[in-house]
Amino acid sequence: MLTIGKLALRVDVTTDTVRYYEKEGLLAPARKTDAGYRLYDDVAIRRLRFIKQAQHCGFSLAEIGELLALKSSDAACCKDVKSVAIEKKLHLEHKIKALRVMSQALSELITVCDDETRPLQECPILAALESSMEKQLKGDRNG
Amino acid sequence: MVKVEVFSSPGCGKCAQAKNMLKTIVEEMGQGRITWRDVNILEEMDYAVELGVMSSPAIAIDGKLAFSSLPSPDKLRTELGKRLV
Repeated sequence: MLTIGKLALRVDVTTDTVRYYEKEGLLAPARKTDAGYRLYDDVAIRRLRFIKQAQHCGFSLAEIGELLALKSSDAACCKDVKSVAIEKKLHLEHKIKALRVMSQALSELITVCDDETRPLQECPILAALESSMEKQLKGDRNG
Repeated sequence: MVKVEVFSSPGCGKCAQAKNMLKTIVEEMGQGRITWRDVNILEEMDYAVELGVMSSPAIAIDGKLAFSSLPSPDKLRTELGKRLV
């Protein structure tokens, strides 16, 4: 059995993280000592590693909770998990697409600035941002 | 020609039966005026993202996302009906 400190060290997270996961219902100690200290077994180690790995794949804690529920459900099967993974990938791809658009917008702004020695009042990047804000405001009023 | 595209992943059990029913409706209503394409979302992820598909299964009609989950037969009939007028 591991104390919370040893568990955290083993999985390379902080004790606050372990407590937070417990609060979120993702993890529970195997038992508590008479003095009320939490004790964890190998199941907790595996669960924490699972949580960390799922976070690396972009899953939120709420989504990880769903995955863990699927994992322990008798009625669920591999294709249920696969469809969760596919939806996550779709969301990530949407985000990547949005980030590309933002990056492209920045590239265009950077290209506009052809003379870095100009005073701030003549900064074409700031001017372009202001004019696009005005356009947006006009659009909002008209729309 | 109305183009119906159904986005799902291979082996999606919940889709197969419902999809077959919807396909029958398309064939009945379309009579050569509607095309049906099964899109493997894993093979055409970029296209799915382009159309705004956020979950699977989903249906696009004429290149626009029409249903973010499989619709009831009536809803699909209504949607197709609007386009066949």
